Amino acid sequence: MKPAPFAYERPRDLNVALSMLAAGSGSAKIIAGGQSLGPMLNLRLVQPELIVDISGIAELKRAEVSGNELVLGALVTHADIEDGRIADVTRGAMRAVAANIAYRAVRNRGTIGGSLSHADPAADWISALSALGARLTLRSFSGTRAMAIEAFVTGALESALHAGEIVEAIHVPARAASAHWGYAKSCRKTGEFAHAIGAALIDPAAGSARIVIGAIDAAPIVVSDAAELFGGRITADYKQRFDVRVADALLVKAGIDDTAQRHIHVGVLRRAVQEAAA
Amino acid sequence: MTTIALSVNRRAVEVVAEPRTSLADFVRDRLDLTGTHLGCEHGVCGACTVLLDGVPARSCITYAVACEGADVTTIEGLDEDEITAELRAAFTREHALQCGYCTPGMLVSARDLVLRLPDADERRIRVGLSGNLCRCTGYVGIVRAVQFVIEARRARNIAALADGGRTILGPAGSGRAAPGRSEPSAARMALAPAPDSVARDIIQDFTPAVVLAQSFTLAHPPAKVFAMFDDIAGVASCLPGVSLRGTPSPERVEGGFRVRLGPIAAAFQGAARVERDPATLSGRIVGIGNDQRSHSATQGEIRYRLLPLEGGAVTAVELSIGYTLTGMFAQVGRPGLVRDLAKRLVAEFAANLDRHMSGGSPGRPRPAELSFWSIASDVLRARLARMFSRISKTKGAE
Repeated sequence: MKPAPFAYERPRDLNVALSMLAAGSGSAKIIAGGQSLGPMLNLRLVQPELIVDISGIAELKRAEVSGNELVLGALVTHADIEDGRIADVTRGAMRAVAANIAYRAVRNRGTIGGSLSHADPAADWISALSALGARLTLRSFSGTRAMAIEAFVTGALESALHAGEIVEAIHVPARAASAHWGYAKSCRKTGEFAHAIGAALIDPAAGSARIVIGAIDAAPIVVSDAAELFGGRITADYKQRFDVRVADALLVKAGIDDTAQRHIHVGVLRRAVQEAAA
Repeated sequence: MTTIALSVNRRAVEVVAEPRTSLADFVRDRLDLTGTHLGCEHGVCGACTVLLDGVPARSCITYAVACEGADVTTIEGLDEDEITAELRAAFTREHALQCGYCTPGMLVSARDLVLRLPDADERRIRVGLSGNLCRCTGYVGIVRAVQFVIEARRARNIAALADGGRTILGPAGSGRAAPGRSEPSAARMALAPAPDSVARDIIQDFTPAVVLAQSFTLAHPPAKVFAMFDDIAGVASCLPGVSLRGTPSPERVEGGFRVRLGPIAAAFQGAARVERDPATLSGRIVGIGNDQRSHSATQGEIRYRLLPLEGGAVTAVELSIGYTLTGMFAQVGRPGLVRDLAKRLVAEFAANLDRHMSGGSPGRPRPAELSFWSIASDVLRARLARMFSRISKTKGAE
């Protein structure tokens, strides 16, 4: 089980990488930590002509707090976040998510930008960062653009990335002191891709809530004004007011026909809400 | 081929290898360090776990060329390591191995846990070892051995190092290399010409392994939709990624189907036959095809049934899409992702059919959520242009 032959480039900086991608006209593939692409290459599910290895580009390894947000370069690894090598403006939320991604050996190489670009609905960051209200900077040879994570993920393994464009940075807003956080997932085996993900960012003081139902084999369901899930308003007793029927209806609307699947997703979301309230 | 220079077990090595060589194959085949074991080769089983710049990494899904300048430590390099020596003794005492296949990876991961965990919490150890599979001894002895070493070291006041001693950001093993490049050693093997067997084969009935049901409505009467479905070229032009070769007849339609799921792309070439039953306004398209590049083959069928709605002004199109995949693509064990793709394709098919039947404007911009079809968009655009020129010609002839 070996990959098909490919040409390999290790550009010295982002501009050179982007010009290589522009010249590669779609047959080039970016690799960072390779923890998603590596298995696909080995299984020959993906057979690019050219691999552009961006893992050495220093400008993508930054992490800085700027104003009220954390800016992470695409190459920051899950282990970097788990270990606290970056400031966690989400007061532990990101750290806990990172610590439960796959296995330590994978987290030591797998990157946040790579995970988002791969857009696997069962992976953690697309759901967790959607709930946290994060945004992305995408960069190509012709410039940069920014978008919210929920706009970035368009389907299973499908993102808004154009050919020749890469995720450059992730902007995570600071979590308000009054905001509660809950994140739950269901995996048949520890470290496996999740079968259901629930994420909740609830601020009873501000009366606001963001809810995400993820790992639904399509882009996650992101409810940015989630009052409907709590009987119309977010108050201190939101845990008691969580309405499973509304969550179930959201899943029906998203095309999840299997009642057992919906039951699991609703149950996992309830766990996330309970964790937020705890 | 490229020269890869790195340090393995504190020894500088410089070996010529292809870029596609995994770090595991590099140390096993080029350096004869066969203590690193390969199990699944896609990052699941953990047998190949080594230390890369001092922290555990999967050597089967890490390419040696990406580790230029890095420090690699395999199980052979841990002979003198204090923690590993204690673990070896504990593994022996606790009967923590039987066949030994998982042991090198297990020891590397166990060493990392001994280094990082504050105490010998069984649950945390089990979670920490969940990325290393053992198929014979089971985990009881292994967990006990790790617990024993952690307890012994903490009792000796050796504190845990939560971050494993790593201080820099980015993937382990990266960032030490100068820019570089490498072409594949030989020109890619030319793909063999498509075998004629597909073209000659009789298209057999089959029982699909996967069946997806989808439905949509068209604002046209059933009879008109059924007539439209008789236009094989017209229907094919509405099927995303489908292109025809030659002149189609109901007995034999030849052509190709390009499909893309994230980074996975395939181009199936094959043939189909078409069946219709005017009495029940239903029909079936059965096809076979194969993708040269991935050595994958597929059998597929689309069954449709048309039902009148709103007094016959509107048609409900009920589709049942069944397929069986063999070869490389059959290894994508995520049927849900394929289902999502099928849903999106059917949605696009319905939109195309609607447009086709309404003689809609070719200039209508494609919705953004369908931009995933970029790989086939050129083909599709060309086909749409042909389709509309054909419609206007037909209209002109009336």
